[in-house]
Amino acid sequence: MSADDFLAQLRAHVGAQGPRHEARHPITGTGIADWCDAIGDTNPLYTDEEAAAKSRHGGIVAPPATLDIWDRPGLPAQARFRPQGLPAADDPRSKVLRMLENAGFVGVVAVNSELEIVRYLRPGDVLTNTQTLEEISEEKQTGLGIGHFVTTRQRYETVDGEHVGDLLFRILKFRPGTGKTAAADPNAKPAPAADPALRPRPAINRVNQALFDGYRAHELRIPKCSECGRLFFPPLPRCSECGSFDIGYAVASGHGTVYSYTVVHYPQVPGFRYPIVTALVELEPIDGQVVRFLADMVGVTPDAVTIGMPVEIEWLDSHPAQVEDATDSRGPISLPQFRPATPTRRAQTLSAAEVSEGERLPIWTLPLSPTHIVAGAIATRDFQDVHHDRDLAHKKGSADIFLNINTSLGYMQRFVTDWTGPEAVVSALRVRLGAPAYPYRPLTFSGSVQSVDAGIGRVVVAVQAVNDLGPHVTGTVELELPT
Amino acid sequence: MSKHTYAGKAAVVGIGATEFSKNSGRSELQLALEACVAACEDAGVDPKQVNGLSTFTMETNPESEIMRGLGIPELTHFSRIHFGGGAPCATVQYAAMAVASGVADYVLCYRAFNERSGRRFGAGVQDRPAGATSEEAQFAWTSPHGILTPASWVAMFARRMMHEYGVTSEDFGAVAVADRRHAANNPAAHFYEQPITLADHQASRWIVEPLHLLDCCQETDGGQAMLVTTIERARDLKQPAAVVEAAAQGMADDQHMMRSFFRDSIVGLPEMGTCARQIWETSGLSTDDVKTAVLYDHFTPFVLAQLEEFGFCKPGEAKDFIADGGIEIGGRLPVNTHGGQLGEAYIHGMNGIAEGVRQVRGTSVNQVDGAEHVLVTGGTGVPTSALMLGPDR
Ligand SMILES: [Zn+2]
Repeated sequence: MSADDFLAQLRAHVGAQGPRHEARHPITGTGIADWCDAIGDTNPLYTDEEAAAKSRHGGIVAPPATLDIWDRPGLPAQARFRPQGLPAADDPRSKVLRMLENAGFVGVVAVNSELEIVRYLRPGDVLTNTQTLEEISEEKQTGLGIGHFVTTRQRYETVDGEHVGDLLFRILKFRPGTGKTAAADPNAKPAPAADPALRPRPAINRVNQALFDGYRAHELRIPKCSECGRLFFPPLPRCSECGSFDIGYAVASGHGTVYSYTVVHYPQVPGFRYPIVTALVELEPIDGQVVRFLADMVGVTPDAVTIGMPVEIEWLDSHPAQVEDATDSRGPISLPQFRPATPTRRAQTLSAAEVSEGERLPIWTLPLSPTHIVAGAIATRDFQDVHHDRDLAHKKGSADIFLNINTSLGYMQRFVTDWTGPEAVVSALRVRLGAPAYPYRPLTFSGSVQSVDAGIGRVVVAVQAVNDLGPHVTGTVELELPT
Repeated sequence: MSKHTYAGKAAVVGIGATEFSKNSGRSELQLALEACVAACEDAGVDPKQVNGLSTFTMETNPESEIMRGLGIPELTHFSRIHFGGGAPCATVQYAAMAVASGVADYVLCYRAFNERSGRRFGAGVQDRPAGATSEEAQFAWTSPHGILTPASWVAMFARRMMHEYGVTSEDFGAVAVADRRHAANNPAAHFYEQPITLADHQASRWIVEPLHLLDCCQETDGGQAMLVTTIERARDLKQPAAVVEAAAQGMADDQHMMRSFFRDSIVGLPEMGTCARQIWETSGLSTDDVKTAVLYDHFTPFVLAQLEEFGFCKPGEAKDFIADGGIEIGGRLPVNTHGGQLGEAYIHGMNGIAEGVRQVRGTSVNQVDGAEHVLVTGGTGVPTSALMLGPDR
């Protein structure tokens, strides 16, 4: 069969509508709360009856990014857990995907996801969705391989027929091994191993021991004169102010602002991922005294770091013990690192007049752990094994479990609405998907205001979430703010 | 603070160097001996007359080996100066103090290494054993974080300087362009006949942002020596004397090796300010008397800071001072007329002292008209040293 004939067969399904699919259960406050916990979204309108009652919604609502999670079939939809006798899905997309797989296009990757919100969902709503196969592209050469883009639209309604939103979803089905890879640079040197255990060990002695004991306890200790209270860094056995040899320490919060910074490109030594952003940080005052401290930074790209940027500390358990029970350089070592400070959630919602085009949102770095990924997958009712089972993720050729799209969208929604304040109404979340978000690779969200229409309160924020593999999601959040 | 009493009583009477290369093909000890012999020959002094030696703590060739290699029968003075590239002018200062006080008659100052083909300083400190002396423990706050090299330390100061003074990478590049223009005329320079443009500087790869490759000095194999004696003996020797009009060492409040990151301000070089104050007080000179200077240039940003510390311009104004060829031949103050450590060679600043001597003698390849008093400085960002050389009158 020629490629044209195959395309014609595929395209015969374009425009087909699937059966109206109804959620098994109504939306519940518990489900919403689990989602908020997983995403870390503390907007009270999702969980606090009293606050929600006073809001424009008049009661608790579900976060907008949850539109497409409530009618999901759950674990039984996974092949290994499918009850006997349950037929395979026969919606138009599933049919087309089976045709593509039989033709060798077995690889799959999500490309675009666009949520349009007509009204916020509430506990008690029972959702239905009807799928339409919108588009199948001709055969295309992509970086991943030769394949077809398949676009579907899902229309969400309540069981009473009220239209609440739509999801446009585009995936690429491709033939593995047919990708176009960039020609390897013959002069490129392999990057050194990044295992932090290979970093130079600090020299620990009697003068600095207390600080490194603090590191092991994930506590940033700043030497403090027990006599006169003077703080100083690095440690010394004697206070140069009052002459006392009685030196203790104060514990720093780990919050501060960047005083200066560098980006190390060369030489590259084992133990690090290059380039390394390093920062000299002014710690927030302790007893009214400002002390500087320096470390490498995580969760920030070289072009995003600025002098004055708020940062907070994160701990890296870098070196296993070389000698059990050793308290010196041969013992286990933890190291402080700085990351951009988590932006605080705005309690009072911004009005559109307070927002200006080009304005940048404070950077948010999420130190992604396996727990974040698994909790996000389950809270968004996505039971695909690649989001929670590392063994199976490995078998499927993935480096690790990775963040599911709904969790990425949830983080993106939180990032923007923490900045706007609780009463912003999200009308759309549109993303293009890129590099996978694996655990232990911090994900950094940055954003800027793309457009403002102060008259109607319409604001569009461009958002990108990046890890060290590249952009993970790139897209926009469309909002209505109070005018 | 009063004038240093040895000032004006000692002079550099001989300079000698090996070729500057990327691979000398011989031992560091041989490089040191060749440079010492050349300095003695330049002065017309038999090496056996030397009875004092002065060098860096980082030098790998001990005084005993130099003594044996030169056939010196007796040494009465041997001194070493710490803190890497901060030492060069202090070797001459110690020599001057020794001869002026009668401790020694002829003192050789020397520095030699295979810094390119052997152990490269640019590789940083990651390979150093984790000893736990107070000196080694200083690295505990930086090395585990990937802040391992002189470039990575200097970049931190440079970034803050850019922030506070509005200095740009192009301003740093003006230093590199000046050095390479001067080196282009210097047959001894590694970059002889290889000038660069500002565009070349901007296009060179990052080492540690905000430092490009062309903001960083070379790595060199080679040796440089200077012979110092009293002004009276100098008058009987082959070459015109380059009198030690002033010399100084400096550390300043809350000094660290090369990471004085904890001062109220990290813009400026207060330890060089300590040197500047002594140099002006002791020499009795002012900036108007200085027509050329050799300013330590392991990394370009600190050349700007030195111009400010010595008062050639006000704090924050060095970027204007160096603009439009201000530190090139024909400019306001030609700096590093040998090509500096970016253009000629990186011999830990000792080759810069030799250029200072040549300017006093009138024999530089980029001779500055009326260059009588020549300021030479040691390494920046570290505890450092400086020197004012002038003619014997
Ligand atoms: Zn005290």
